[in-house]
Amino acid sequence: MSESKSEALREFVEAAKTLVNPALSDYKKKGGKVIGMMYHFIPEEIVTAAGMMPYRMRATGSEGTELSEGYFTQVNCSLVRHFFDSGMRGRLSFLDGVVSVNNCDHIRRLYDNWQWKVKTPYMHFMVFPKKTGKEQVEAYREQLEGFRSSLEKSFGVKITEEKLREAIRLHNETRRLQRELYELRKADAPPLTGTQTLAALVAGTCIPRDRYNALLKQLLQDCRAEKGGNGWKARIVVMGGEIDEPKFVEIIENQGGLVVGDALGYGSRAIVNDVDETGDPLAALARYQLVDRPADPRIFGTTFDRNDYVVQQVRDYKADGVVSVRLIACDLYGFEQVNLSKHLKKNGIPHLGLEIEYVIDAVGQMKTRVQAFLESIAEAKHDNRN
Amino acid sequence: MTTATKKGLQRYYEYRDRIAGLIQSIQESPEPNPVLIKFFTLVNEQDKRVIDCVENGKPLLSSWYGSAPEIYSAMDIEYFCPVDNILAHQPFTNDLEGMDAANIPQDMCGLIKLGAYGVEAGIVPVPTAIIAMLEPCDAQSAIHEAWKNAEGWRDVPIFALDPAYGVGTKDYAYFAGELRRMIAFLEDHVGRKLDWNRLREVIEVTNQQYAAWGEYNELRRAVPCPHNSFVGGKLGWVITQHMKAGLPGAVEIFKMLAFDAEQKVKAKQGPMPKEKIRVLWADLIPTWSDAFGGMLEQEWGANIVMDFQSYAAQYDPIDTSTEESMLLGLAKRNMAEVPMIRQARGKVDVMIEDITRIAKDYKCDCVIFPGHVGHKDQSASIGFLKEACRELKLPLLALTVDNFDPRYTPMDVLKRQVGEFFDAHGLGK
Repeated sequence: MSESKSEALREFVEAAKTLVNPALSDYKKKGGKVIGMMYHFIPEEIVTAAGMMPYRMRATGSEGTELSEGYFTQVNCSLVRHFFDSGMRGRLSFLDGVVSVNNCDHIRRLYDNWQWKVKTPYMHFMVFPKKTGKEQVEAYREQLEGFRSSLEKSFGVKITEEKLREAIRLHNETRRLQRELYELRKADAPPLTGTQTLAALVAGTCIPRDRYNALLKQLLQDCRAEKGGNGWKARIVVMGGEIDEPKFVEIIENQGGLVVGDALGYGSRAIVNDVDETGDPLAALARYQLVDRPADPRIFGTTFDRNDYVVQQVRDYKADGVVSVRLIACDLYGFEQVNLSKHLKKNGIPHLGLEIEYVIDAVGQMKTRVQAFLESIAEAKHDNRN
Repeated sequence: MTTATKKGLQRYYEYRDRIAGLIQSIQESPEPNPVLIKFFTLVNEQDKRVIDCVENGKPLLSSWYGSAPEIYSAMDIEYFCPVDNILAHQPFTNDLEGMDAANIPQDMCGLIKLGAYGVEAGIVPVPTAIIAMLEPCDAQSAIHEAWKNAEGWRDVPIFALDPAYGVGTKDYAYFAGELRRMIAFLEDHVGRKLDWNRLREVIEVTNQQYAAWGEYNELRRAVPCPHNSFVGGKLGWVITQHMKAGLPGAVEIFKMLAFDAEQKVKAKQGPMPKEKIRVLWADLIPTWSDAFGGMLEQEWGANIVMDFQSYAAQYDPIDTSTEESMLLGLAKRNMAEVPMIRQARGKVDVMIEDITRIAKDYKCDCVIFPGHVGHKDQSASIGFLKEACRELKLPLLALTVDNFDPRYTPMDVLKRQVGEFFDAHGLGK
């Protein structure tokens, strides 16, 4: 879809390109508080229930890591180095608070360094279990209770059960709308590209929720009135972690592949299930992060499910192949591509594994590899037809 | 017995025979070292137990460090760490080349890459069950996921221990719960019951073992340090983490080490003519430690007097009065005392506190931070480390190495970097 045909899409694409979008600026001007979510596994709903805005931290637009060099070394991933550099430069100074969990080895130290040097006024840390189970859900629920109390105390707000339920309903509404968007991608000629879809999902983490949901409804209407394009070499599912850069998808699409589905942290894995709206809301939020949503490799014992999930995406979205992506120096994703590759081979699905840096600039080699991959799929399809 | 279960035995026969040959050569040397004879005899017996399990279809557990091995012993379950012997025999194998050929990202830790390669290549026996430890780093979790994807290992039952992040009573209680669940898993899948009285006996022996190790560590504070770089940690790690827990011979080794060290301290005798530089090595002991330690000693009269693999602030004896006290004690020991899990799990504070304490207690002249490629958390702590060293007024050398792959940073490069560092700070003059 052309951005000129959908104002909603244009706003999403612009929001994904910057750290501060106009809607966020307006929100701040009106005195709104913004809490930064340092990476994932943190229930945004609790922040919404506190009357504040959850914001998924990014370093979009970062031009270097010079201010990180004294605190991280070259064995650390570029994501944390760009995040920290952005923090040190004040690019994220609009945040009133930061909350994190002991995510990966890089992120947990990013938090320690952030607390030491960037010093966002409010900071809170939670312990996230490394596996799923009844005891782990209970343990994380307790951490969420601590987060609730901490927000209440620090910001003078009251987070009632009813407010939590309302917030869960609101965020479920977002997920439901996003799933509708994904449904449209199953068409033979989807109205949205993968690049646009990822931008729309990234925008959902930085635009105030009510406005975002309204824009999403508008985008859905615009899409339904739009006929998608044809002529793609192959339909692709992308798999990876917390990729917040639509440019990565754009590289695949510029070479002639249409990204129709994904297993990304900002993508389908964040929206495929809802948080349970009945019962204890904090328990539901803990269970959602640990059990219900498709897991990230940070949660041990989930590889087989994740591999099956990718294959299911390929089937649901009628994809021809999978491109997986790993951030260089990420240990959690270290064996993911190896394991996934074996699984896809067994299922007869072509696979290309890529390694990238957080800020994607050197794209020449990546383009060549993607191009060759898409050509091989196109040739195989042609041979099969004959 | 199926072919799959016998996989990896060939390597174990080689390990067994190589160690037997080594023991013999030490015994026949002009001055046989009784500590080494005792140590390698225990290693040899450990290898034989693994072989016996595989040959005779007895339960064999794959485990990792920090997993409370006292419990396995009390359940009469033999165990091994799949990567331990691959590392120990590295100079005699072509495993590093095999690892290179495997499809594993180059930026990962050599230990993890070797472990993944070893299982995939079938040079490791297929265990009856797996106990995974999910700390101290992401790669521990990742390697166990990789093993589950390897041929023959997919259907092996697995239990993963999820350690807490903090160091408080609630954290230990959570991990004690994990240990209790591990016991239930082992009873279900290995078919052996835990004998709590036997656990008490085993812990009483390991209490003595840790006390003796602690005593030895204290003696290394002396100036000059009584033994060479890394001595203690190299033996202690294997004994406490990769060998059957509760062997009286293990206690004896630490006592022998401590006795020898004590005599040398009394005589003010060190391993080199003049100890000029006392170094803190802020990480695990590398597989290339002999070459590195030897170079420090010969070139500059430097001795690594303490390292993270040897150090725990204090190995507290475990209260064996009740089941609960034993589990809580094991939880604390394995989360907060076992090296690396102690320093890398949790917030940065413990690592920095340890460095500060070691530097003072061991009268160190400098800190060498190896910057091991696998220790992402430590590399992201470099700012804190620099600050701590500034406060201690201690020079810091930050390298980038792979502790488990000597090729990553060649020894001549290390020699140049260390030499320039010592020169720049006037150390050893």
